[in-house]
Amino acid sequence: MLRFLTRRTLGAAVILVIIAAVTFFLFFAIPADPARLACGKVCPPETLAQARHNLGFDQPIFVQFVNWLVGVFVGRDYEGLGHCPAPCLGYSFVNHAPVFDTITDRMPLTISLTVGSAVIFLLFGVGTGIIAALNQGRPLDKIASVSSLIGASVQIYFVGTLAMYFLVYQWHVIERPQYVPFTDNPLQWAYGLLLPWVVLAIIFTANYTRMARSTMVEQLSEDYVRTARAKGMSGRTVVLRFALRGTLTPIATIFGIDIGTLIGGAIITENTFSLQGIGRLSIQAVLNSDLPMLMATVLLAATAIVVFNVVVDAMYAVIDPRVRLS
Amino acid sequence: MSARTRSALAVFAIGSLALTAACSQGNAGAPPASSGGASASASPTSMTDLFAPPKVTVGTADDSKGPSIPPEGVVKGGTVNMIDRDDYPHFDPARVYDNVTANFHKLITRQLTGYKRVAKGEYKVVGDLATDAGQVSDGGKTWKFTLKDGVKWQDGSAITSADVKWTMERLFAPFITEGPPYIQQWLTAEDYKKAYGGPYSGKELDTIETPDDKTVVFHFTSPHADANYALAMTGYGIVPKAKDTKEKYDKEPFSSGPYIIAKHTVDKSMDLERNPNWDAATDPIRGAYPDKWHLEFGFQALQVTDRFVADTGDDKKTLSFYSHVAAERTQQVVENADLQSRLLKQPSPYGDYYYFNLDRVKDIKLRQAINYAWPTQQIMQISGGPASSVINTTILNPSVSGWQDYDAFGMKQHPNGDLAKAKELMAQASDKTPTLVYGYNDTPTEERITVAIKNQLAKIGVKIVAKPMNTKTWYDSTSKVDNGLDMYWGGWGADWPTAATVFPVIFGPIHDGGYNQSHLNDPAVTAEIKRIEGLADATEANKAWGDLDKKIMETITPLVPALNNVGLQLHGSLVGGAEIDPIQWVVSPDTIFVKSS
Amino acid sequence: MTAVTLSDAGPGRRGDSFLSVQDLRVSFSTEDGVVRAVNGLSFEVEKGTTLGIVGESGSGKSVTNLAILGLHDTDRTEMHGEIWFEDQELIGASRATMERLRGNRIAMIFQDPLTSLSPYHTVGRQISEVYRKHKGASKKESRDRAVEMLERVGIPHATTRVDDYPHHFSGGMRQRVMIAMALVCDPDLLIADEPTTALDVTVQAQVLDLLKDLQQQMGTSIILITHDLGVIARTAHQVLVMYAGRAAERGTVREVLTEPRHPYTWGLLSSIPRLGGSVDVPLTPIRGTPPSMLAPPPGCPFHPRCDYVKYAGPELCTGERPDLSPATGHGDACYLTLAQKQEFLGQIKGRP
Repeated sequence: MLRFLTRRTLGAAVILVIIAAVTFFLFFAIPADPARLACGKVCPPETLAQARHNLGFDQPIFVQFVNWLVGVFVGRDYEGLGHCPAPCLGYSFVNHAPVFDTITDRMPLTISLTVGSAVIFLLFGVGTGIIAALNQGRPLDKIASVSSLIGASVQIYFVGTLAMYFLVYQWHVIERPQYVPFTDNPLQWAYGLLLPWVVLAIIFTANYTRMARSTMVEQLSEDYVRTARAKGMSGRTVVLRFALRGTLTPIATIFGIDIGTLIGGAIITENTFSLQGIGRLSIQAVLNSDLPMLMATVLLAATAIVVFNVVVDAMYAVIDPRVRLS
Repeated sequence: MSARTRSALAVFAIGSLALTAACSQGNAGAPPASSGGASASASPTSMTDLFAPPKVTVGTADDSKGPSIPPEGVVKGGTVNMIDRDDYPHFDPARVYDNVTANFHKLITRQLTGYKRVAKGEYKVVGDLATDAGQVSDGGKTWKFTLKDGVKWQDGSAITSADVKWTMERLFAPFITEGPPYIQQWLTAEDYKKAYGGPYSGKELDTIETPDDKTVVFHFTSPHADANYALAMTGYGIVPKAKDTKEKYDKEPFSSGPYIIAKHTVDKSMDLERNPNWDAATDPIRGAYPDKWHLEFGFQALQVTDRFVADTGDDKKTLSFYSHVAAERTQQVVENADLQSRLLKQPSPYGDYYYFNLDRVKDIKLRQAINYAWPTQQIMQISGGPASSVINTTILNPSVSGWQDYDAFGMKQHPNGDLAKAKELMAQASDKTPTLVYGYNDTPTEERITVAIKNQLAKIGVKIVAKPMNTKTWYDSTSKVDNGLDMYWGGWGADWPTAATVFPVIFGPIHDGGYNQSHLNDPAVTAEIKRIEGLADATEANKAWGDLDKKIMETITPLVPALNNVGLQLHGSLVGGAEIDPIQWVVSPDTIFVKSS
Repeated sequence: MTAVTLSDAGPGRRGDSFLSVQDLRVSFSTEDGVVRAVNGLSFEVEKGTTLGIVGESGSGKSVTNLAILGLHDTDRTEMHGEIWFEDQELIGASRATMERLRGNRIAMIFQDPLTSLSPYHTVGRQISEVYRKHKGASKKESRDRAVEMLERVGIPHATTRVDDYPHHFSGGMRQRVMIAMALVCDPDLLIADEPTTALDVTVQAQVLDLLKDLQQQMGTSIILITHDLGVIARTAHQVLVMYAGRAAERGTVREVLTEPRHPYTWGLLSSIPRLGGSVDVPLTPIRGTPPSMLAPPPGCPFHPRCDYVKYAGPELCTGERPDLSPATGHGDACYLTLAQKQEFLGQIKGRP
């Protein structure tokens, strides 16, 4: 297990450095000049050159990248702004703050959004899938199938915008989504994020319902499940302790991907619900040509995806003792 | 100072129009995609009358005394909320050049001078920290300001002439690249950073004198009748010598205004509390009625609109500084009678033009024929109808002092184009079937407008080759001198409401990245600009600018004037004193108050 | 126990049999139609004895035994008849009743120990949970019991291996684990569905001996389902030969294996090699294929494959399905007369 983790972590680090490099160099491939932002309305070439120097864009791109990379590990100094301690993801000249600080400020929301909706869609999706599997061919199964089909075919900006418009603004069923830190007030935290959670869950549940249903149907006809029944295990024990176990492997696979996607792809969700997380930060970074922030958000998304891939692989071993990590 | 600045800044941000719709016209090259219903009764020609241009004059020492003129039914106290899309890019006033940030700075920053709202649409340039709008002498080259008694920093220390001098000197430092260049250039030279490197090396700027703690004297190299307008810009907002932390000051501003930033989470929220050392009696401009401001960022125009329409809970006490009604809700909002009392309307103070590239389109007959034939009405329909724009026929925006109304090519009379007149001129043109390359911002609305223009001009024998251009690099491409285009959209906003920051720029130096996008290079025009700039009398200068406007349009015709967009904004029902400032085109915090119920 | 006379031939519990199956009919609905997997099967099992059930694949052996435990898919299965376990009728018994019986008083061993054991749980857990469930034992007690059971079925180092997963065991060992699991609650009836089919021959013998030993120690009744007559000969007391969902022949091991009366049994016996027999003598497999249970042939279902139809009379064989006769003891379901059967058996035995 330890060897597996070491090897995968090293691999992940290499991938992340490559992603960082690609992001970095692609950023400079865009014709727009980020220094233009820091230059006045009438921007004479001298002022532009000065702005470029102040932002550090006058150095060769490779040097800039190495500086950035070194900063991540040992921190770096910014002229006139002081030291940015490691892990220094850079200094945002748009936000006037070390990128790391902003990221850590926004991270809890994105994580709350992800974890909350994940809990809902995991429980609800898998639960519905199991119920459908146990009622195979009956009306309950059909209802589950149809609703999961609908859920799978809608998009967050569609459901989210409709939900906001009707539930929040027209009918005042629920208040506008808001982020209250969990540590401040867990109840308000949950209430404030309920709407995005539910909307996200509607969209993601479908996948889990279908996956859970089909694997559950398979599992229920497995010999060892029959053995469990032959041992006199109650119906619930048979389903939860035996059949469910086998359905977890494929669920863990898509769950790992989805969690990564959710953290990395919070852009639309956060925008739809006007929430201030990593997603919105990444939009801002693109619009403002804020390279350090862009790098950080891209890397964060990449890290989330890479990490959850490793986690999923490790999960396989936990779920299924036959799997050996090597 | 203007939102046009924002345009330059926003050039990079246009990538996603859906996201930037909030300040759509602020985006260079992108006339707004706002759609909307027409108030059927209003004919296009009468719309300018509905929006009387603002009147801006210079006030007296008496006008410069505090407190400010309160809006009707004013209530003091309470907390007001503000929601918009973006946080402010700069808190060091020296780095502020856009109208939105400048508007925010009214809460924490004071200048030597400022705009005092006297009545609806009526403003006076008055002394802010200064006792009056400045004493001019030496034919407009020397400006003297005296600081008021009792003006203090947030720590209670007095604001002195040394602070003012320091404020101006630090503008020359290398780390300040963003703000306006005027005062610096007037005090030294065109390339002012070469002339002086800022005060941090210990060197002073000898063109500013501080004979005592209260008096500041500016010695300009040439006459500048509107220096008091220039000094009203937030870019010249004062910074305390004792608390200047150079680059870091952008994060930790020291308040001279009515509020102090109590808490700020970058790009998320900000809380302002009263500055106990700000005295309303010294301030003729800022009402500062609410006790607290709670600002939140991250809201798209659509969400802002929906929240104001719903008007529930705390949203009743909420306003937005710059978020316009979202395009997809315009019709609904304009037609909803219940919302009319909370719907603010104001045409933009910017000049928007379809420039000719005079290097390539050399025949004035052709340029004038195109002006005659221009499908104004059609463009208006495509870009949202009469509710969201008005016809403009001049180079100067009506909000600029000295603006003269004229309609050289009968646009208001023939909103669908005067084809007969156009054909007549084409008959005299050197090339009767010319081909023009028209560059347009690649957005759906712009594409439809381009088709309308193309079809219309085909009727007079002009063939348009439409060239779609990437929104993200639009400005960089069109502002190249050798841009390979014959016509393209461009815009400019005056930095203060006189033509002194319009004509010297849009008909000024021609260089890559510059704003003389028609490449007009006429010695007579240049000479006239120089002459007017040298006039010591502001009234005389304004009149001369107005005449020049008409003359350029009639004798050179370097552009087709574009529509003037009408900004629509909503606010919560318990917010009082809200109006869109006709000069800044944002809702000013100066008059805002919270109604008790 | 209720006293019921042997002469009571109607439905109901037959005698004081430990397990009594009467006129069992099981049918499934499939997409192609209704499969009558078991069609009028009756048999008894006595306490402490082993009943061997033989038959080809699809003859209904496994279905019958799943039906006893109620493990069939209730949605798609129709069941008629009676299954008496002591004085408990199992068809239509409540789910709770069945759950109390399963694994506790009636246990089952399946054919493939690899797929029949949960890959996700340790063998110890799989064994002990049965004990906990039915005996209400503590975690510790049930674990000790699991170790004890593993020792009893001959798994070396049981104390450590109890925490291993099934995939850590060899095939034979896994089947021993299955047996340990089945016997952990000292069941009264053990149903072993082809317990040795998946094992190689030497391991087969060990497992069968183990079952026999355990039966002697605990007095468990066993139903041993197999298609291997050698296994029957080695372990069973009674034999039931099934064909097309019904008994073709029934009797003691001796009766059925030495004096078989049904042509199908003859066929089965002729198709296995005999130790010491000449290798040059070809084995005679039963011709044809087992009948489709979707549309079984009319009359005696074996008649399309039977060489003796002409002796019994074709109209008889294709008319009504013959009953098992006599009703008790050594019985078979064939229209041939007893004399004919003895004559033909003699001929078969006389073959080299």
